[in-house]
Amino acid sequence: MKVKSLLPDVVRKTTTDIDHPFYSLQREMNNLFDNFFRGFSVAPRGFAAGIGEFTPSIDVKENDKEYLIKAELPGVEEKDIDVTVTSDSVTIKGEKKEEKEDKDKNYYYMERSYGSFSRVIPLDAEIESGKAEARFKNGILDIKIPKNQKAKEKGTKVSIKTS
Amino acid sequence: MSDKDLQKSENTAVTEKIRNVKTFIPRVDIYETGEALFLIADMPGIDEKTVDVELEKNILKISGRVENGKVKDYSLVFSEYEVGDYERTFTLSDEIDREKIKATVKQGVLRLELPKAEKVKPKKIAINAA
Repeated sequence: MKVKSLLPDVVRKTTTDIDHPFYSLQREMNNLFDNFFRGFSVAPRGFAAGIGEFTPSIDVKENDKEYLIKAELPGVEEKDIDVTVTSDSVTIKGEKKEEKEDKDKNYYYMERSYGSFSRVIPLDAEIESGKAEARFKNGILDIKIPKNQKAKEKGTKVSIKTS
Repeated sequence: MSDKDLQKSENTAVTEKIRNVKTFIPRVDIYETGEALFLIADMPGIDEKTVDVELEKNILKISGRVENGKVKDYSLVFSEYEVGDYERTFTLSDEIDREKIKATVKQGVLRLELPKAEKVKPKKIAINAA
C-alpha cells in the first residue's frame, strides 16, 4: 500500500494547480517517502522484487466523471500487458521481456530493467469497470475509467425542518 | 532497489533550454557484440517523429521531445513520474562506422545499432599447413 500523502486530505483535494511551487514540493516529498518504502521492500509485492526488476511509474488523475491512469511501460508489448478492473481498483500486470537474440553480449551500461510486474491501484470512488478503456502508445499506457455516477448518488439528502 | 532505479533522473543541463519543460536522462543499455555496439534507451512517450539522433564529430546526442501530457480539469490523485524531454550524449570512438548507424523506435524504446568499422572487427586468420 502506498504512503499516499503526508498532508491531510483537505489540502490534497485542492491540488488542481499542480504547477504551484508548494505542490511540487509536496509531490517531491511524497515521492521521496514512496520510493523510500518501495526501496526497502516494505510493500508486500516487494517480496518478489529483486534488484533491477522493472516497476512501472504510474500517474493517476481524476475529475468528477472519470479517472485517468497513465503508466510508463517502455519496451513492453501490448500483448504482454494485462489490465484488470474491479469496482474499486485497477491492476496492471505484465512483463518486460529482455531481448535474447545475441548470446555473446558484453555490457557496458545496464540501466534498464526487465521482468514481470504487477501493480494494484486502489481508487477512492466506485468505478464502472465495464466501461474502462485502455490504449497503449509509444510505451505509455492510458486507462480511462468512468466513475459510477449512481454510487455517488446513493446518499439521500435529508431535508431539515425547522420546528 | 534504490530510488534512482525507479525514477527518471533529471538532467540539470548547463545549456539553457528554450522549452519550459524538464529534461530527463533516459536510462540506457549499451552492449557490444562482435559486429556492432547496441544502444537501447527507454524513452516512454516518444515516437519516430519526436526523437532525434545527432552525430557531431564523435559526440552522439540522443534527444526526445514529449508533448506535455497535462490534462485540464483533472486533479492529481498521485503521481510517480513527470513528463519531460529526454537528452543524453555519448562519446563515440573511431571504431564505429558512422555511415552505417541505424536507429529504430518501438514502444518508447530507441534502439541504435552502431556497426564497428571493418578494421576493428575481429578476424580469424586461417592457418595453412605448410
